[in-house]
Formats: sequence, structure tokens, C-alpha cells
Amino acid sequence: MELLLQLLVSGILVGSIYALVALGWTLIYKSSGVLNLAMGELTLVGAYVCLSLYNNWGVPFPVAVLGSLVMGAILGLLVERLVLRPLIGKPVLTVIMVTVGLSFLLRGLVGLIWGTDTVVFDPPVFPAEPIRIGPLIISPVFLGGFVASLILLAFFVWFFQGTRWGLAMQATADDQMAALSLGVSAKLVYAIAWAIAFMAAGVGGIFLGSINGLNISVGHLGLLVLPAVVLGGLNSVPGAIAGGLIIGVLQNLTGGYLDGFIPGGIKDIFPLAFMAVILLFKPYGLWGWVKIERV
Amino acid sequence: MFRLPAGTYFQSYRQAHSFWPTRFMAFRMIVLLIVLFAVVPFTFSNYALSIANRIGYTILAAMGVQLLIGFTGQLTLGHAAFVAVGAYVSAIFTLTAADNASFSPFWGFLTQTGMAYPLSILLACLIAGLWSVLFGLPSARVKGFGIILTTMAAQFITVDFVIAQYVSQIGGRGHYFSIPPGSLKIGGWALTGDRDAYFLMLILVTGVTVAMINWKRTRPGRAWIAIRDNDIAAEILGVDIVRYKLLAYFAAGMLAGLAGSFWITSLFFVSPEHFVWSNSLWWVGVILIGGVGAVDGTIFGAIFLELMLVLVNSFAVANILFLYFKDIAFGLAVILFLLYEPNGLSYRWWQVKNYFYLWPFSYK
Amino acid sequence: MQTRKTLWMMFASLISLLAMLLSACGGAATPEGPAPAAPAEVVRIGSINDTTGPTSDVGKDYALGIREAVAYVNDHGGVNGKLIELFQYDYGYRVPEAITTYKRFRDQDKVVAVLGWGTGDTSALAPTVTQDKMPYVSASYSAELTDPSKTPYNLFFSTDYSTNARAAITAWYEEVWLKDARFESRRNAGDKPRFVAFYSFPTPYSSAPIKAIKEQAELLGFEIGPDQDISLTALDTKSQVLAASEFGPDLVWHGNTTMSVAAALKDSAALELGADHIVNNWGYDENLPRLAGDAAEGVIGIVPSAFFGEETEPGVPGVTMADVMEYAQKYNPNVPPEKRLVRTVQAWGDVLLLWEAMKRADAAGDLSGEGILKAFETLENYDLGLGAPPVTFAPTDHRPGSAVNLYIIRGGQFELLARVDLKERWPELWPTWLGY
Repeated sequence: MELLLQLLVSGILVGSIYALVALGWTLIYKSSGVLNLAMGELTLVGAYVCLSLYNNWGVPFPVAVLGSLVMGAILGLLVERLVLRPLIGKPVLTVIMVTVGLSFLLRGLVGLIWGTDTVVFDPPVFPAEPIRIGPLIISPVFLGGFVASLILLAFFVWFFQGTRWGLAMQATADDQMAALSLGVSAKLVYAIAWAIAFMAAGVGGIFLGSINGLNISVGHLGLLVLPAVVLGGLNSVPGAIAGGLIIGVLQNLTGGYLDGFIPGGIKDIFPLAFMAVILLFKPYGLWGWVKIERV
Repeated sequence: MFRLPAGTYFQSYRQAHSFWPTRFMAFRMIVLLIVLFAVVPFTFSNYALSIANRIGYTILAAMGVQLLIGFTGQLTLGHAAFVAVGAYVSAIFTLTAADNASFSPFWGFLTQTGMAYPLSILLACLIAGLWSVLFGLPSARVKGFGIILTTMAAQFITVDFVIAQYVSQIGGRGHYFSIPPGSLKIGGWALTGDRDAYFLMLILVTGVTVAMINWKRTRPGRAWIAIRDNDIAAEILGVDIVRYKLLAYFAAGMLAGLAGSFWITSLFFVSPEHFVWSNSLWWVGVILIGGVGAVDGTIFGAIFLELMLVLVNSFAVANILFLYFKDIAFGLAVILFLLYEPNGLSYRWWQVKNYFYLWPFSYK
Repeated sequence: MQTRKTLWMMFASLISLLAMLLSACGGAATPEGPAPAAPAEVVRIGSINDTTGPTSDVGKDYALGIREAVAYVNDHGGVNGKLIELFQYDYGYRVPEAITTYKRFRDQDKVVAVLGWGTGDTSALAPTVTQDKMPYVSASYSAELTDPSKTPYNLFFSTDYSTNARAAITAWYEEVWLKDARFESRRNAGDKPRFVAFYSFPTPYSSAPIKAIKEQAELLGFEIGPDQDISLTALDTKSQVLAASEFGPDLVWHGNTTMSVAAALKDSAALELGADHIVNNWGYDENLPRLAGDAAEGVIGIVPSAFFGEETEPGVPGVTMADVMEYAQKYNPNVPPEKRLVRTVQAWGDVLLLWEAMKRADAAGDLSGEGILKAFETLENYDLGLGAPPVTFAPTDHRPGSAVNLYIIRGGQFELLARVDLKERWPELWPTWLGY
């Protein structure tokens, strides 16, 4: 029982970070139809920028996070302008493969600039001393990540519901033609979506990196985002959040329980296997739009 | 298709259907084959031959991707899984034959007559094909992004889980299957070095290329192309979509099995690390750079990317930080090709050929 | 004006790239180019290293050490006057790249010996190396490579992983379980100590000593719990630690490299696993306390040579720690000494070992693979210096030694805990432990 609770709690805490990154992914897909396979590398870039600002330049942590957000926004705008915009309207394969190319390029650059060693935030941002709630042991960094994710998620919800830009993005996602005819600039919407995705991924990376340190395997997170968004149904924002949380919990539960019966890395594989099953039985996920096709 | 040289016209359907429409084309290809079979293996160094083998392997593996993406329009990002299945089936079968040769008449016969490896190739093709159909099943229900994710799941489930954790335990050989040189034989021909592997590679690549070009013109081939261009229209016209899609998965899996079972000849061992996800992506990159839907494009793409690697490796700094430079070079190549040459190298080659065919009447 | 806009964009992306570079200042160290072209007579040596892959946390320092040690050898007469030309390649811990590189060494660069790295590639190449008669001095100390009837051409200077693992669990049993007051009541109650192994199942380096350590655990009367799979690049090991805590271990063996060991130690501390830890040699170095902080306190590990900068007795080659530090400063001045690791010294150990064998082979007039192997087998109780135990290569047993130094981290510093000699302790069992 205690083990179950502990696993559930760490699942939800990690899942909230996944949800944040999945949200960034869904935004891009929703607004521009691009299936982004470079999400993992986006988390790496954001996290490393923050860590370098903090470690090498001695910037206080919140400012470093802000710096990485700014950097993420700039990179997102640049990537959209240089790589994605020329490919608007091209076949799915082209657009997917360009994000694959981007992921290789970013990973190589990250490796070249920062190396593959694990680096830790030095001095540590969060105290190592765990917080106890009844029988549960929670490390502060998880709690920090959880709170930050909640704040950002709330911010994004406000952004979509309450601001002009957010409404424009929603309109474009709903019906691109109608939005264009009402004077919404699709290019601007795409650019903002990429900037937000870079920023969300960066924050996710920062918190994942501050758990035990940062290395190139944090980019593996990019793969876990895919099952999350598939579960949520690709173009649903609440779906992405729920998907992220569910994947986090499932991952921890399988690690805790199934590992004994099916040894060897079931924890990393399970979300992907789960995804294949969802696709077979519920291809549009929990809240996705069911698409009806005609010739 | 191609343009004919100025002044040449077809006079019968037979001519129009022939593999090489003009004598000059046939002559050109035969000279190429003679050079590849008789001149290259005896003049090039072992190291150059090993690079040629890598190119051949890339061609074989990417042909399956070409069949799925280029012919049938089924995006796949998990082809390495099926290549891995092929390699492991072939390796396990051959090694088991060698281990049991002394006390089992069946395995002994296979080993003595040198039939173990050829038989293992067939078996590898079959099992890889079936495995591929298994993961192609969702294609009956989903398309586009869904199928990409299923093939991705295939990659991780097969290689990182089933093979790395369970298949690797077979025979207690540890996490790599050592294949000592000389343990692979076809009849009396022991595949001991890069030169032997080179010959096998050429035979396989030639065969697969011819098969691919011909498949395009058969009934399934036309059905695949119809599905690629518009699946709903194809279904209305009476093409059994699910059957032909699964057939495409089976054929691609078989090609992957072939590639895998060839690959073990030029290695000293197999390990799951040969078949990581980036390989799958790499092969999609090959056909993108070569040209989607073009059989010759697969070959151009493979040559381009493998030679690019050799080039990267020859820089001193890149030696020490090889992996990063490899990633960067591949990423840049894919992005630049997609942006500036979306039709691939094969289209460029077609333009060059046409220029010469039509010369000096290029305005034709 | 489209082109100008594109140009502007490219400029902007260049600037942001530069900004990324700048923010990482002092991060990546680029080693220098290959050693300058040598004069008339040279001996070629290949080196396969991991400077970009999952073991680059220890591999980068090792690669630098190889380069510096070869420079030292060339400054001190080379192989009886012949200078060593070094070909060094990264393979990113990807076995396929190792094959390509090995073929390149054999066919293109025509080297006489290879300095290798990982267990997976070294073991897998072993039959080929044997056929090619290519001495292969690896950084993998897998016990599988020590049986000359199977892999005669695979050699290394340190005690093998299985010997290390047996020594580590023996040392903990004798120094902690039997002595520490924490366990007094349970000892008196006749309880068995409980043991769990944390390692990456599919990684040959990590799984190599598992059979041996479990055998030793049974020999000493441990109760053995379920193994936990932790990948080499793991950052979150909570579910594994929780699964292990169900069993309630007193001792955990960590079989990975430093970064994943640090992650597992931190999670063990955070989730209050309450066990002691023993670590294999590639997971135990100066970086461990840096990465794991307080969680590294009291962790016991194997160190095959002296730490970087530690004072040592000079051995037969006459190399002192001052030389190692001098060459590190000279050839890689951009890596500060406090960032260098024991891996440098280990690289020196492997190079010095090969150097001695090549000198002896050359003196005997046969600097071929076979000649070098014969020269290796003339080494008996040969003292390399640099804190490494003396090495012996018998024609029937390529285990270089049986005595292992175990260290413990106290107050962030490494202290020698015990020195366990397995051959002395179990003389009748020692020969049967060959080869796994």
C-alpha cells in the first residue's frame, strides 16, 4: 500500500512535467498540423541554457529560468522561420522528417557545446532533504517541478482563453480558412506556437535536469511525450495534460510492479507499447477529433 | 519516366515494356556491372571494400523503407527492428547449426554442406516479414501519424526490449553474438573477409534492385501506388486496401530480413546496438535524399550518406567527437535536401541524363 | 528582398548559436589534433575511445590520458628508439562503430596493437583479434577476457571485474558487517546480510561480474534479492530503489559508470533505502562525490591505481605522479588538474603495460602480434608504479593480479579501507574462478 502510494505520487509529480512538454507539442500540432519529433531535443536546449547561466555565470535560478525562456522563444521563432515555414503545405513525410533532421542537428550541437557528462546544478537549487507527508517521502525538486508546471499550465490556459493572441491561435486551429479571412496572420500563429513549445519544453527539461542532473538522456523524454499526446488525442490541450499525468503514473507503476515479473527496462518500453495498443483500439485517443475523410 | 534519346522512338509495346529500352542503356548497365563485379574487388583496398559493404547494407535496408514509403505511402520509422529480426534469426540459426553439428545429424548435415547460412537467410526473410506484418496490422485502422507511432513502438519493443533483454540470452552467449570469421558458409564458399562479403552484397543488391523495379510494374505494385496516391479512390476502384497494405509490410519485412542476414557477414558479431532507432531514421533520410519513390534514388542516397560519414570521419577533431558530427551532418543534410531539393538526387540525375539524351536539342 | 531577409535570419541564427556557445564557456574540451608525423621508424598503435557516448563520463578522461601517456613514451625513447604513432578514434560506445574502426586499424592504418575501451566491443571482437593475432589492451577488465585458451590476445593491467566484485563484497562483509555496531544485534541474532545488485542488464560491462559476485555472496552467506535494471544514462531510478526497498537490502552493488551510480545513490538517499553501497571501478572516481554530494558518504569502491595527483612509489618504468600531472598540463592545459580523474592514471597503466611488452618484444627481435603476446607472458610481478598492484601474465592465466584496493569515501575524501588478496584467502578456489 505504501509502495503504491509512493509510486502514484512520484508518477503524478513526474507526469506533470511530461504534461507541460506534451502541451507544447499539442500546440504545434493543433495550430499548424506539424508532427514534431524533435521535442526531446528542445527540452535539452532549454535545460542546458538554464544550467549554463546558473553554473557558469552565477545568475540566480529564477533569472536563469527566465533567460532560458527568452532563449527558447528566440530559437522557436528562428526554427519556425528558417525550417518550417518554407514547408507549409508539403506532405506529412516531409514535415516529419524535417523535425527529425532538426532533432539530429540539435542533439549534435548540444553534444558539441555541452558534452555528454552529467552536470548538476551547483550549488543545488532545491534542498536534498526530503519532505515527509505521512508515510510518503517527496523530494523538494519534484514538488518544485510540480508547482512550476501547474503555474505554467494555468498561464497557458489564461493565454488561450483570455488574450487576443491565444484566441487567434484557437481560431486558426479550429478553422484555418475562416481565421485567415478574419485577418488572423497564420504565420504569426505558427511562430508563436513554436516559441511556446520551445519554452514549455525548456522548463520541463530544467526540472527533469534538476532531479538528479542533466545529460543527453533527458532528451528521451521527447519520446514519452508521444504516448501522452496519443492518449490525449493529439489536438486536445486538456487531453495532453491528462495524458502526461497518466503516462507518468503508468510508468512508475510498471517500474515498481511489473519489473519483477518481466525484468529489463519495462519501465521505458511500457508507455510505447501502451501507445501501440491505444492506436489499435482507440486511434483518436480520449478527446481527439474524429476525422471523417472523403475523396 | 525517362525521356528517350533524340531520334529514338518505340515501335512496339514489347519495346516500350522492356527493361532496358535501348541497346546503349543495356550496354551501360552491363559495363557498370562488370566494373563492380570484376574490377572493383581486385583493385580496391580492404577498407574501401568494407565501406562498399556498408553502402550495400544501407541500400538493402533502405529498399524496404522505399517500398513502404515510396511505393505504398505507409510512413515507417521502425525499420531497424525488422532488420534486427533478420540479423538475429540468421545469426542464431547459423550458430546453433555450428554448435550442434557434432551430435545432431540434421544440424551436422546443414553445416557440412554449407547450407546453414543460405537457409538462415530464407528463414530470416520469412520471420522478419511476419513480424513486420504484425506491426503493420494497425495500418488497417489508422494512417499517417498513427502508423508512424506504431512503427516507432515496434522499434523500441523489438530491439530495446525483446532482443536486448530476451533474445540476447539465447544460448548463453551474452549480449553480443560473436560470429568468428569463417563461420558463415554458402556451400563451400566461406565468407571470411570483406571481399567475400562484397560479392554477396553485389549479388543481393543487384537482385533486390531488379526486383524492386519490376515490382512497380506488377499487379501488387500498381495497387501499392494507387493506395499511396489516394487510398479511398483506390478502394472504390476495387483494390483490397488492407490486403495490399499488409503485403507491402510483408515485402518490406522480407527485404529487411535480407539486409539483416547479409549484415552479419561483414561484422564479427551482432548486438542490439546495431539496430538503434537512429538507424531507422537514417534509412528514411536515405530515401529522402535519394528521392522518394525512385529505386535508383535509394542507391544514390545510400552512397551519398555513407560517403558523407567517411568524409566526416576523416577530420581530426571529428574523430574524437565523431558522434556529434555524424548527427549534425545527417540533420543538416536532411533539412537542406528537404528545403532545396525535395525531389532528391534521383531527380537531379534524371535531369542530367535528359540533358545528354536530348543534346543538342534540349528545347525538345 | 527575400534573399536579404534570409541572410538576416541566418545571421540571427548564427548569433544565437554563438550565444549558446558562450553560455557554455569552458564546457567542452576539444583535444588537440593527432600527434605530429613521426620520423623514419615508427610503431603504429590504434586507440578506440568513447568521448561522446554513454560512458564518456569516464571515457573522455581516459582518452586524454592515452594521448599524454603516448607522448611521454615518445619523449622517453619510444620502443627502443622507434616512436609510437597513435591513431585515436571515438566510437561513441556504439559497437558497430568499433568494428568499423577496428577494420580501419587493421587494413588501413596497419597498427601492431590496439588500445580498446568497452566490454561489449572488446569481448565481441575477441575471436577476430585472436585470429588476426592483434594484441588488444582494453579498458574493459572483464574476467571473460582472462582465459588464454579462449582469448589470448586480450590483455589489461588491472584486476578483472569479477575479482574486484568478489573483493568488494568480501571487504564489506569483513570490515562492516562483522565489525560495525549498526549490525551488532542482527549479527548476534544470526541474521544473514541482504544483498541486491543495481546494474544495466543489457550492458556487457555491467553484467560481466554479476555471476561472480552472487557466487561470492553465497559463499559468504548473504541473502540475495532481485536485481534492478538501471541504464547507463539513467537520471531517475526511484522505481528501482523502491522495488529494492521492498526487499530491504543491507548492501547494494552498483555495476554502472559514475553518472548512473550517482543517480542511484541520490535516489537511495532520498527514499531512505538504508543500505551500504559498493561500486565497481568505472563508477567510482573523483566525480562521484561531486555528482552525488552527501549521498556518496560511506560508499565503498574499487580503485585500480592511484588517484590523479596522489603521491606514489615509482615502479619499474620510473613514472611518477609528477610526470602524469606534467604531461596533463602540457598537452591538455584547458582541462584544469582538479577536473582530471583517476581514469587518466588508468590510461597510463594500460599504455605503460603495452610499452613494456613492446620493448621486450622488440629486444627479442619480433615486434609482431605474436612477439608482443610472448613478451606479455614474460611479465612476472612487474611493478608499473602509479599505485597499481604488480602484474603477472602466466601463459595459462591472464588475470593480472589477485589483490584489490578498496577505498571508502569519508568527508568527501577517499580513504583506503582494505586490501583484499583473493588468491591468498581462497588458494584452492582461485584457479577455478578463471574466465568468468
